[in-house]
Amino acid sequence: MSFRIPIGPYHPALEEPYKLELVCDGETVTDAVMNVGFNFRGIEYLAERRNYLQGITLVERVCGICSNVHSLSFCQAVEQLNGAEPPERALYIRVILAELERLHSHFLWSGVAAKLIGFKTVFMACFTLREKVMDALSAISGNRVNYGMNRIGGVNRDIADPQAVLNILDEMERDITSTIFPIFLEDKTVASRCKGVGILTNEWAKAMGAVGPLARASGVSQDIRKAAPYAAYDRFEFNVPVETAGDVQARLVVHALEMVESCRILRQALTTLPEGPFHSTTPTAARFKVPAGTAISRVEAPRGEVLYQMVSNGTEIPQRVRVRTPTFMNMATVRFTVLGQELADSPLIQASCDPCYSCTDR
Amino acid sequence: MLTPKVGFEKTLQELGLGEGWEWKNGSWWMTAPETFNLRATTCIVLSLEARFVAITAMEREDKEIRLDYQWDLKGDLLSFITATAAHQIPSIADLTPAADWVERETHEYFAVEFTGRENTKPLMMRAGDAVGINLHKEVTQ
Repeated sequence: MSFRIPIGPYHPALEEPYKLELVCDGETVTDAVMNVGFNFRGIEYLAERRNYLQGITLVERVCGICSNVHSLSFCQAVEQLNGAEPPERALYIRVILAELERLHSHFLWSGVAAKLIGFKTVFMACFTLREKVMDALSAISGNRVNYGMNRIGGVNRDIADPQAVLNILDEMERDITSTIFPIFLEDKTVASRCKGVGILTNEWAKAMGAVGPLARASGVSQDIRKAAPYAAYDRFEFNVPVETAGDVQARLVVHALEMVESCRILRQALTTLPEGPFHSTTPTAARFKVPAGTAISRVEAPRGEVLYQMVSNGTEIPQRVRVRTPTFMNMATVRFTVLGQELADSPLIQASCDPCYSCTDR
Repeated sequence: MLTPKVGFEKTLQELGLGEGWEWKNGSWWMTAPETFNLRATTCIVLSLEARFVAITAMEREDKEIRLDYQWDLKGDLLSFITATAAHQIPSIADLTPAADWVERETHEYFAVEFTGRENTKPLMMRAGDAVGINLHKEVTQ
Protein backbone atom coordinates (compact mmCIF):
# COMPACT_ATOMS: atom_id res chain seq x y z
CA MET A 1 0.00 0.00 0.00
CA SER A 2 1.23 3.47 -0.94
CA PHE A 3 1.42 6.33 1.59
CA ARG A 4 2.09 10.02 1.01
CA ILE A 5 3.97 11.47 3.96
CA PRO A 6 4.32 15.27 4.14
CA ILE A 7 7.36 16.36 6.14
CA GLY A 8 7.70 20.05 6.95
CA PRO A 9 7.87 22.94 6.47
CA TYR A 10 8.31 22.84 10.25
CA HIS A 11 9.23 19.41 11.51
CA PRO A 12 11.78 18.00 13.99
CA ALA A 13 13.43 15.98 11.20
CA LEU A 14 14.30 19.13 9.29
CA GLU A 15 16.93 21.65 10.29
CA GLU A 16 15.43 24.48 8.25
CA PRO A 17 12.00 25.17 6.76
CA TYR A 18 11.26 23.26 3.61
CA LYS A 19 8.70 20.68 2.72
CA LEU A 20 9.30 17.22 1.42
CA GLU A 21 6.43 15.01 0.35
CA LEU A 22 7.53 11.40 0.36
CA VAL A 23 5.56 8.70 -1.39
CA CYS A 24 6.26 5.37 0.28
CA ASP A 25 5.47 1.78 -0.50
CA GLY A 26 5.65 0.32 2.99
CA GLU A 27 8.97 1.59 4.37
CA THR A 28 10.48 2.24 0.94
CA VAL A 29 10.47 5.71 -0.63
CA THR A 30 9.15 5.55 -4.20
CA ASP A 31 8.90 9.26 -5.01
CA ALA A 32 9.62 12.63 -3.45
CA VAL A 33 8.49 16.19 -4.13
CA MET A 34 10.53 19.10 -2.77
CA ASN A 35 8.96 22.45 -1.87
CA VAL A 36 11.13 25.45 -1.00
CA GLY A 37 10.58 29.21 -0.71
CA PHE A 38 9.61 29.43 2.97
CA ASN A 39 12.61 31.73 3.61
CA PHE A 40 12.12 33.86 0.49
CA ARG A 41 13.10 37.48 1.24
CA GLY A 42 13.61 38.94 -2.25
CA ILE A 43 17.23 39.83 -1.55
CA GLU A 44 18.13 40.30 -5.23
CA TYR A 45 15.26 42.80 -5.57
CA LEU A 46 16.26 44.59 -2.37
CA ALA A 47 19.93 44.79 -3.41
CA GLU A 48 18.88 46.61 -6.59
CA ARG A 49 17.37 49.37 -4.44
CA ARG A 50 20.38 50.06 -2.23
CA ASN A 51 23.78 51.56 -2.90
CA TYR A 52 26.89 49.41 -3.05
CA LEU A 53 27.84 49.99 0.58
CA GLN A 54 24.37 49.01 1.79
CA GLY A 55 24.47 46.06 -0.60
CA ILE A 56 27.48 44.53 1.18
CA THR A 57 25.61 44.58 4.49
CA LEU A 58 22.46 43.19 2.90
CA VAL A 59 24.01 40.25 1.04
CA GLU A 60 25.98 39.24 4.13
CA ARG A 61 22.56 38.38 5.55
CA VAL A 62 21.66 35.95 2.75
CA CYS A 63 23.01 33.22 5.01
CA GLY A 64 23.91 32.95 8.69
CA ILE A 65 26.55 30.28 8.10
CA CYS A 66 28.44 31.34 4.98
CA SER A 67 27.77 35.09 5.36
CA ASN A 68 31.38 36.01 4.53
CA VAL A 69 31.16 34.26 1.16
CA HIS A 70 28.33 36.54 0.06
CA SER A 71 29.99 39.83 0.94
CA LEU A 72 33.23 38.52 -0.59
CA SER A 73 31.52 37.60 -3.87
CA PHE A 74 29.70 40.94 -3.95
CA CYS A 75 32.90 42.95 -3.33
CA GLN A 76 34.91 40.94 -5.88
CA ALA A 77 32.28 41.64 -8.55
CA VAL A 78 32.33 45.39 -7.80
CA GLU A 79 36.14 45.44 -7.75
CA GLN A 80 36.19 44.03 -11.27
CA LEU A 81 34.00 46.89 -12.43
CA ASN A 82 35.70 49.79 -10.68
CA GLY A 83 39.25 48.41 -10.65
CA ALA A 84 39.72 48.76 -6.88
CA GLU A 85 42.53 46.27 -6.31
CA PRO A 86 42.81 44.89 -2.78
CA PRO A 87 46.37 44.79 -1.42
CA GLU A 88 48.10 41.44 -0.98
CA ARG A 89 47.54 41.35 2.80
CA ALA A 90 43.78 41.82 2.25
CA LEU A 91 43.69 38.88 -0.19
CA TYR A 92 45.35 36.66 2.43
CA ILE A 93 42.94 37.81 5.14
CA ARG A 94 40.02 37.03 2.80
CA VAL A 95 41.35 33.48 2.41
CA ILE A 96 41.78 33.12 6.20
CA LEU A 97 38.20 34.24 6.84
CA ALA A 98 36.86 32.01 4.07
CA GLU A 99 38.65 28.92 5.42
CA LEU A 100 37.63 29.58 9.03
CA GLU A 101 34.07 29.91 7.77
CA ARG A 102 34.40 26.62 5.85
CA LEU A 103 35.64 24.92 9.02
CA HIS A 104 32.78 26.16 11.18
CA SER A 105 30.27 25.20 8.48
CA HIS A 106 31.78 21.72 8.11
CA PHE A 107 31.84 21.22 11.90
CA LEU A 108 28.21 22.24 12.07
CA TRP A 109 27.31 19.84 9.26
CA SER A 110 29.31 17.04 10.87
CA GLY A 111 27.50 17.60 14.17
CA VAL A 112 24.09 17.53 12.50
CA ALA A 113 25.05 14.39 10.57
CA ALA A 114 26.32 12.72 13.76
CA LYS A 115 23.06 13.53 15.54
CA LEU A 116 21.02 12.01 12.71
CA ILE A 117 23.26 8.95 12.61
CA GLY A 118 22.47 8.55 16.32
CA PHE A 119 25.89 9.51 17.60
CA LYS A 120 25.16 12.38 19.95
CA THR A 121 28.58 12.26 21.61
CA VAL A 122 30.13 13.13 18.26
CA PHE A 123 27.56 15.89 17.83
CA MET A 124 28.87 17.43 21.07
CA ALA A 125 32.50 16.96 19.97
CA CYS A 126 31.83 18.66 16.61
CA PHE A 127 30.08 21.61 18.20
CA THR A 128 32.91 21.98 20.73
CA LEU A 129 35.32 22.19 17.80
CA ARG A 130 33.04 24.66 16.06
CA GLU A 131 33.15 26.90 19.12
CA LYS A 132 36.93 27.15 18.76
CA VAL A 133 36.53 28.39 15.19
CA MET A 134 33.82 30.81 16.29
CA ASP A 135 36.20 32.12 18.95
CA ALA A 136 38.84 32.72 16.29
CA LEU A 137 36.34 34.48 14.02
CA SER A 138 35.11 36.54 16.92
CA ALA A 139 38.67 37.51 17.90
CA ILE A 140 39.40 38.66 14.34
CA SER A 141 36.16 40.40 13.45
CA GLY A 142 34.36 41.03 16.74
CA ASN A 143 31.42 38.90 15.55
CA ARG A 144 30.46 35.23 15.60
CA VAL A 145 28.42 35.54 12.40
CA ASN A 146 28.06 38.36 9.84
CA TYR A 147 31.68 39.37 10.32
CA GLY A 148 31.53 42.63 8.37
CA MET A 149 35.07 42.00 7.14
CA ASN A 150 34.82 42.63 3.39
CA ARG A 151 34.88 46.03 1.79
CA ILE A 152 35.35 47.16 -1.80
CA GLY A 153 39.13 47.16 -2.21
CA GLY A 154 40.08 45.01 0.77
CA VAL A 155 38.98 44.13 4.28
CA ASN A 156 37.81 46.24 7.21
CA ARG A 157 40.03 44.73 9.91
CA ASP A 158 43.56 43.43 10.13
CA ILE A 159 44.65 40.19 11.77
CA ALA A 160 46.93 41.70 14.36
CA ASP A 161 47.98 38.45 16.03
CA PRO A 162 48.24 35.56 13.53
CA GLN A 163 49.98 33.43 16.19
CA ALA A 164 46.80 33.39 18.32
CA VAL A 165 44.86 31.90 15.39
CA LEU A 166 47.69 29.43 14.77
CA ASN A 167 47.43 28.26 18.38
CA ILE A 168 43.69 27.57 17.91
CA LEU A 169 44.54 25.82 14.64
CA ASP A 170 46.96 23.48 16.42
CA GLU A 171 44.21 22.39 18.79
CA MET A 172 41.70 21.96 16.00
CA GLU A 173 43.98 19.86 13.81
CA ARG A 174 44.73 17.60 16.76
CA ASP A 175 41.03 17.18 17.55
CA ILE A 176 40.07 16.56 13.92
CA THR A 177 42.57 13.73 13.61
CA SER A 178 41.82 12.27 17.05
CA THR A 179 38.00 12.66 17.05
CA ILE A 180 36.46 13.28 13.61
CA PHE A 181 38.67 10.99 11.53
CA PRO A 182 38.30 7.78 13.60
CA ILE A 183 34.52 8.21 13.75
CA PHE A 184 33.76 9.29 10.18
CA LEU A 185 36.43 7.29 8.39
CA GLU A 186 36.79 4.08 10.41
CA ASP A 187 33.87 3.51 12.78
CA LYS A 188 31.82 0.40 11.87
CA THR A 189 28.54 1.73 13.30
CA VAL A 190 28.80 4.91 11.22
CA ALA A 191 29.69 2.87 8.14
CA SER A 192 26.71 0.54 8.64
CA ARG A 193 24.42 3.57 8.82
CA CYS A 194 25.93 5.47 5.88
CA LYS A 195 27.58 3.09 3.41
CA GLY A 196 25.45 2.59 0.31
CA VAL A 197 22.78 4.97 1.63
CA GLY A 198 21.43 7.91 -0.39
CA ILE A 199 23.58 7.41 -3.46
CA LEU A 200 23.90 10.29 -5.92
CA THR A 201 25.48 8.81 -9.03
CA ASN A 202 28.12 10.70 -10.96
CA GLU A 203 25.74 10.97 -13.94
CA TRP A 204 22.98 12.56 -11.87
CA ALA A 205 25.39 14.85 -10.04
CA LYS A 206 26.51 16.21 -13.41
CA ALA A 207 23.01 16.35 -14.88
CA MET A 208 21.67 18.31 -11.91
CA GLY A 209 24.64 20.71 -11.87
CA ALA A 210 25.52 19.68 -8.30
CA VAL A 211 28.44 21.52 -6.72
CA GLY A 212 30.71 21.45 -3.67
CA PRO A 213 31.32 18.51 -1.32
CA LEU A 214 28.08 16.85 -2.46
CA ALA A 215 29.33 16.71 -6.06
CA ARG A 216 32.87 15.82 -5.03
CA ALA A 217 31.53 12.82 -3.09
CA SER A 218 30.06 11.67 -6.42
CA GLY A 219 33.29 11.96 -8.38
CA VAL A 220 32.84 15.52 -9.73
CA SER A 221 36.22 16.99 -8.93
CA GLN A 222 35.67 20.70 -9.44
CA ASP A 223 36.53 23.22 -6.73
CA ILE A 224 36.43 26.91 -7.74
CA ARG A 225 39.44 27.62 -5.51
CA LYS A 226 41.48 25.50 -7.95
CA ALA A 227 39.49 25.80 -11.19
CA ALA A 228 39.13 29.60 -11.18
CA PRO A 229 41.27 30.87 -8.28
CA TYR A 230 40.30 34.10 -6.54
CA ALA A 231 41.71 36.11 -3.60
CA ALA A 232 45.11 34.48 -2.83
CA TYR A 233 44.22 30.81 -3.37
CA ASP A 234 46.72 30.38 -6.20
CA ARG A 235 49.56 30.99 -3.66
CA PHE A 236 48.75 27.94 -1.52
CA GLU A 237 49.19 24.19 -1.83
CA PHE A 238 46.13 22.08 -1.05
CA ASN A 239 44.31 19.03 -2.35
CA VAL A 240 40.68 18.70 -3.42
CA PRO A 241 39.33 15.51 -1.82
CA VAL A 242 37.16 13.49 -4.20
CA GLU A 243 35.27 10.26 -3.55
CA THR A 244 33.35 8.21 -6.09
CA ALA A 245 30.81 6.16 -4.09
CA GLY A 246 28.29 9.03 -3.97
CA ASP A 247 26.72 7.79 -0.72
CA VAL A 248 26.38 9.41 2.71
CA GLN A 249 29.65 7.79 3.80
CA ALA A 250 31.48 9.43 0.86
CA ARG A 251 30.06 12.82 1.89
CA LEU A 252 31.34 12.28 5.43
CA VAL A 253 34.79 11.44 4.11
CA VAL A 254 34.93 14.46 1.76
CA HIS A 255 33.86 16.84 4.55
CA ALA A 256 36.41 15.38 6.99
CA LEU A 257 39.26 15.57 4.48
CA GLU A 258 38.29 19.11 3.49
CA MET A 259 38.65 20.17 7.14
CA VAL A 260 42.27 19.06 7.05
CA GLU A 261 42.89 20.88 3.77
CA SER A 262 41.34 24.05 5.22
CA CYS A 263 43.74 23.82 8.18
CA ARG A 264 46.58 23.37 5.70
CA ILE A 265 45.58 26.52 3.77
CA LEU A 266 45.13 28.46 7.02
CA ARG A 267 48.58 27.49 8.28
CA GLN A 268 50.20 28.65 5.02
CA ALA A 269 48.24 31.91 4.95
CA LEU A 270 48.87 32.75 8.60
CA THR A 271 52.59 32.01 8.48
CA THR A 272 53.20 33.94 5.24
CA LEU A 273 50.80 36.83 5.80
CA PRO A 274 52.42 39.71 3.86
CA GLU A 275 53.15 43.03 5.51
CA GLY A 276 51.38 46.14 4.28
CA PRO A 277 47.94 47.74 4.16
CA PHE A 278 44.76 45.66 4.32
CA HIS A 279 42.59 47.86 2.12
CA SER A 280 43.15 50.06 -0.89
CA THR A 281 43.82 53.74 -0.35
CA THR A 282 41.29 54.77 -3.00
CA PRO A 283 39.09 57.56 -1.59
CA THR A 284 35.65 56.42 -0.46
CA ALA A 285 33.76 58.37 -3.11
CA ALA A 286 35.85 56.80 -5.88
CA ARG A 287 35.38 53.31 -4.43
CA PHE A 288 31.62 53.60 -4.78
CA LYS A 289 31.74 55.08 -8.26
CA VAL A 290 31.09 51.97 -10.32
CA PRO A 291 31.33 52.34 -14.10
CA ALA A 292 28.64 50.81 -16.29
CA GLY A 293 29.27 47.17 -17.10
CA THR A 294 28.74 43.58 -16.09
CA ALA A 295 30.96 41.42 -13.88
CA ILE A 296 30.78 37.93 -12.44
CA SER A 297 32.40 36.67 -9.28
CA ARG A 298 32.54 33.01 -8.29
CA VAL A 299 33.59 31.75 -4.87
CA GLU A 300 33.82 28.23 -3.41
CA ALA A 301 31.51 28.45 -0.40
CA PRO A 302 31.47 25.63 2.18
CA ARG A 303 28.59 24.05 0.22
CA GLY A 304 29.99 24.74 -3.25
CA GLU A 305 30.10 27.41 -5.92
CA VAL A 306 28.41 30.76 -5.30
CA LEU A 307 27.92 33.05 -8.30
CA TYR A 308 27.27 36.79 -8.19
CA GLN A 309 26.53 38.68 -11.38
CA MET A 310 26.63 42.44 -10.97
CA VAL A 311 25.30 44.82 -13.60
CA SER A 312 26.03 48.52 -13.17
CA ASN A 313 24.48 51.36 -15.17
CA GLY A 314 26.98 53.83 -13.81
CA THR A 315 24.77 55.09 -10.97
CA GLU A 316 25.33 54.45 -7.27
CA ILE A 317 22.63 51.75 -7.25
CA PRO A 318 23.35 48.43 -9.02
CA GLN A 319 21.00 47.68 -11.90
CA ARG A 320 21.08 43.92 -11.28
CA VAL A 321 22.45 41.72 -8.51
CA ARG A 322 22.13 38.04 -9.31
CA VAL A 323 22.85 35.55 -6.53
CA ARG A 324 23.07 31.84 -7.34
CA THR A 325 23.83 29.75 -4.28
CA PRO A 326 25.12 26.15 -4.05
CA THR A 327 22.12 24.64 -2.27
CA PHE A 328 19.87 26.00 -5.01
CA MET A 329 21.58 23.53 -7.36
CA ASN A 330 22.15 20.73 -4.82
CA MET A 331 18.75 20.45 -3.21
CA ALA A 332 16.91 19.17 -6.25
CA THR A 333 19.15 16.08 -6.09
CA VAL A 334 17.43 14.90 -2.89
CA ARG A 335 14.59 13.52 -5.00
CA PHE A 336 17.05 11.11 -6.61
CA THR A 337 18.98 10.22 -3.48
CA VAL A 338 15.92 9.15 -1.44
CA LEU A 339 14.35 6.96 -4.14
CA GLY A 340 14.38 3.30 -3.13
CA GLN A 341 15.72 4.15 0.33
CA GLU A 342 14.25 3.38 3.75
CA LEU A 343 11.89 6.09 5.02
CA ALA A 344 13.84 6.22 8.30
CA ASP A 345 17.02 7.11 6.39
CA SER A 346 15.48 10.10 4.59
CA PRO A 347 16.36 12.73 7.27
CA LEU A 348 20.02 11.67 7.16
CA ILE A 349 20.04 11.61 3.35
CA GLN A 350 18.59 15.11 3.15
CA ALA A 351 20.99 16.43 5.77
CA SER A 352 23.95 14.82 4.02
CA CYS A 353 23.42 17.26 1.11
CA ASP A 354 24.34 20.00 3.63
CA PRO A 355 21.29 22.07 2.72
CA CYS A 356 20.99 25.76 3.50
CA TYR A 357 17.54 27.17 2.88
CA SER A 358 18.44 30.74 3.70
CA CYS A 359 20.83 30.55 0.76
CA THR A 360 18.40 28.67 -1.46
CA ASP A 361 15.47 30.99 -0.90
CA ARG A 362 17.38 34.29 -0.53
CA MET B 1 41.87 38.60 -10.32
CA LEU B 2 41.22 35.94 -12.95
CA THR B 3 43.11 36.19 -16.20
CA PRO B 4 41.77 34.72 -19.46
CA LYS B 5 43.39 31.90 -21.39
CA VAL B 6 45.17 33.30 -24.45
CA GLY B 7 43.34 32.41 -27.67
CA PHE B 8 40.44 30.72 -25.89
CA GLU B 9 37.89 32.70 -27.95
CA LYS B 10 39.17 30.85 -31.03
CA THR B 11 38.82 27.51 -29.23
CA LEU B 12 35.20 28.31 -28.36
CA GLN B 13 34.48 29.17 -31.97
CA GLU B 14 36.09 25.92 -33.15
CA LEU B 15 33.95 24.00 -30.65
CA GLY B 16 30.87 25.29 -32.48
CA LEU B 17 29.82 27.78 -29.81
CA GLY B 18 29.60 30.77 -32.14
CA GLU B 19 31.68 33.84 -32.89
CA GLY B 20 32.43 37.06 -31.10
CA TRP B 21 33.58 35.67 -27.75
CA GLU B 22 35.15 38.23 -25.48
CA TRP B 23 36.70 37.93 -22.00
CA LYS B 24 35.47 40.53 -19.55
CA ASN B 25 35.21 40.76 -15.78
CA GLY B 26 35.25 37.10 -14.80
CA SER B 27 33.55 35.42 -17.76
CA TRP B 28 33.68 34.77 -21.50
CA TRP B 29 30.76 36.58 -23.12
CA MET B 30 28.99 36.08 -26.42
CA THR B 31 26.04 38.17 -27.55
CA ALA B 32 23.79 35.76 -29.39
CA PRO B 33 23.00 36.74 -32.99
CA GLU B 34 19.45 36.65 -34.36
CA THR B 35 20.13 33.21 -35.83
CA PHE B 36 21.07 31.84 -32.39
CA ASN B 37 19.44 28.51 -31.58
CA LEU B 38 19.38 28.14 -27.80
CA ARG B 39 18.44 24.47 -27.72
CA ALA B 40 20.96 23.43 -30.37
CA THR B 41 23.69 25.36 -28.55
CA THR B 42 22.66 23.73 -25.27
CA CYS B 43 23.14 20.31 -26.90
CA ILE B 44 26.64 21.30 -28.05
CA VAL B 45 27.58 22.65 -24.61
CA LEU B 46 26.31 19.48 -22.95
CA SER B 47 28.27 17.30 -25.38
CA LEU B 48 31.38 19.17 -24.18
CA GLU B 49 30.51 18.11 -20.61
CA ALA B 50 29.98 21.69 -19.49
CA ARG B 51 28.05 22.25 -16.25
CA PHE B 52 24.94 24.40 -16.26
CA VAL B 53 25.44 27.23 -13.75
CA ALA B 54 22.68 29.83 -13.95
CA ILE B 55 20.41 32.10 -15.92
CA THR B 56 20.63 35.78 -15.04
CA ALA B 57 17.58 37.77 -16.13
CA MET B 58 17.12 41.52 -16.29
CA GLU B 59 14.62 43.84 -17.90
CA ARG B 60 15.69 45.77 -21.00
CA GLU B 61 14.48 49.21 -22.03
CA ASP B 62 12.17 47.65 -24.66
CA LYS B 63 10.57 45.59 -21.81
CA GLU B 64 11.93 42.31 -23.14
CA ILE B 65 14.03 40.28 -20.74
CA ARG B 66 17.76 39.85 -21.27
CA LEU B 67 18.78 36.32 -20.28
CA ASP B 68 22.42 35.41 -19.72
CA TYR B 69 22.91 31.63 -19.80
CA GLN B 70 25.99 30.64 -17.81
CA TRP B 71 27.93 27.41 -18.24
CA ASP B 72 31.14 26.19 -16.67
CA LEU B 73 33.43 24.58 -19.25
CA LYS B 74 36.13 22.89 -17.16
CA GLY B 75 36.66 26.00 -15.02
CA ASP B 76 36.00 28.64 -17.68
CA LEU B 77 32.71 30.47 -17.30
CA LEU B 78 30.80 31.00 -20.55
CA SER B 79 27.92 33.49 -20.73
CA PHE B 80 25.54 33.51 -23.68
CA ILE B 81 23.61 36.80 -23.80
CA THR B 82 20.15 36.17 -25.23
CA ALA B 83 16.73 37.79 -24.85
CA THR B 84 13.09 36.86 -24.87
CA ALA B 85 10.76 37.54 -27.79
CA ALA B 86 7.34 38.60 -26.49
CA HIS B 87 8.56 37.44 -23.06
CA GLN B 88 9.07 33.88 -24.35
CA ILE B 89 12.11 31.66 -24.88
CA PRO B 90 12.42 27.89 -25.36
CA SER B 91 12.95 25.80 -22.27
CA ILE B 92 16.14 23.77 -21.91
CA ALA B 93 15.00 21.92 -18.77
CA ASP B 94 14.28 18.76 -20.79
CA LEU B 95 17.87 18.83 -22.09
CA THR B 96 19.48 19.58 -18.74
CA PRO B 97 17.40 19.01 -15.58
CA ALA B 98 19.73 21.43 -13.75
CA ALA B 99 17.84 24.25 -15.50
CA ASP B 100 14.45 23.26 -14.07
CA TRP B 101 14.56 25.24 -10.82
CA VAL B 102 16.36 28.17 -12.49
CA GLU B 103 13.66 28.47 -15.16
CA ARG B 104 10.89 28.27 -12.56
CA GLU B 105 12.58 30.99 -10.51
CA THR B 106 13.12 33.21 -13.56
CA HIS B 107 9.45 32.78 -14.48
CA GLU B 108 8.40 33.99 -11.04
CA TYR B 109 10.80 36.94 -10.87
CA PHE B 110 10.59 38.20 -14.48
CA ALA B 111 7.41 36.63 -15.95
CA VAL B 112 9.41 34.82 -18.63
CA GLU B 113 7.49 32.00 -20.33
CA PHE B 114 9.75 29.04 -21.02
CA THR B 115 7.99 27.34 -23.91
CA GLY B 116 7.93 23.58 -24.15
CA ARG B 117 7.74 22.92 -20.41
CA GLU B 118 5.07 20.49 -19.26
CA ASN B 119 4.36 22.79 -16.34
CA THR B 120 6.03 25.62 -14.49
CA LYS B 121 5.19 24.87 -10.88
CA PRO B 122 5.83 27.66 -8.37
CA LEU B 123 9.22 27.45 -6.67
CA MET B 124 9.69 30.44 -4.35
CA MET B 125 6.10 31.65 -4.67
CA ARG B 126 2.89 29.78 -3.95
CA ALA B 127 0.21 28.62 -6.38
CA GLY B 128 -1.88 31.59 -7.54
CA ASP B 129 0.74 34.25 -6.69
CA ALA B 130 1.41 36.87 -9.38
CA VAL B 131 4.60 36.37 -11.39
CA GLY B 132 7.11 39.06 -12.39
CA ILE B 133 7.75 40.26 -8.85
CA ASN B 134 11.21 41.64 -9.69
CA LEU B 135 9.70 43.83 -12.41
CA HIS B 136 7.91 45.94 -9.82
CA LYS B 137 9.62 49.31 -9.70
CA GLU B 138 8.71 50.22 -6.16
CA VAL B 139 6.95 48.58 -3.27
CA THR B 140 4.05 50.63 -1.98
CA GLN B 141 3.71 50.56 1.77
